Amino acid sequence: MMILNSVEELLQHIKEVQLDVIDLSGDSLMKMSGFIEKNGLEVDDDISTALQYQDIITQQLNATIEAIDSMKKSIEIFSHAYKSDEGLANESIEKLKEKLSVTLQDAKDKKSRFSGKTADSSVDDEIEFF
Amino acid sequence: MPLVIFVDDSETALASTKMVTNSMPIEVKQYTEAQVALAEIKAGMVPDLIITDLNMPVMNGFEFLKALRAVPATQRTPTLMLTTETKPELKQQGKALGLTGWIVKPFNPAQLKQAITRVLRLPA
Repeated sequence: MMILNSVEELLQHIKEVQLDVIDLSGDSLMKMSGFIEKNGLEVDDDISTALQYQDIITQQLNATIEAIDSMKKSIEIFSHAYKSDEGLANESIEKLKEKLSVTLQDAKDKKSRFSGKTADSSVDDEIEFF
Repeated sequence: MPLVIFVDDSETALASTKMVTNSMPIEVKQYTEAQVALAEIKAGMVPDLIITDLNMPVMNGFEFLKALRAVPATQRTPTLMLTTETKPELKQQGKALGLTGWIVKPFNPAQLKQAITRVLRLPA
């Protein structure tokens, strides 16, 4: 059980670092866009795209934070079951494996969904009208 | 000037669109919550174009679109989805709900300007 506590603490640490990165990168972008607006600067396509990466980074990190929260919850449930009845440990660990597998698949799906054009070179700049 | 509203839960995404639309002959209002934009529309605001994100907490882009179509003033208001999502089935869902078009992030500024110009029939 000690190992699971360490894993939980590590996950919490990773989550906190990611939240800090989200805050810092958001603050950085807002400062840059404020500077651009204040000085009436025109941004070219490359710079505009680069600035938009911040939003993609935030979405990606938020998706992994959701995965971390889900993993922590699954570990907590397993730990509780284990403490209550060690005989249930094998059954519980199977459930834990299943839940972690679902979490991983969900996180991978979100990585793809939240990447936009940065991960799918087949998507061109053309706007699709219906 | 035509009123264009942008809805995105990310303030940084809104900052990116603002940089692009600053030089356009349009009035822009930005919202980080779709339900707030919807409340203002129900209170009498009549946008000429709505550009919304899809993945948002509380009310997502599709829910917002459905709600817009239920308000007489925005039943036919052109609405563009600006999202990282690229799945064809989501685009189809949007189309079925009366969406005007789909823009994938990160957007090309020139293309976004062109789309707004085209939808609002602004002088090129």
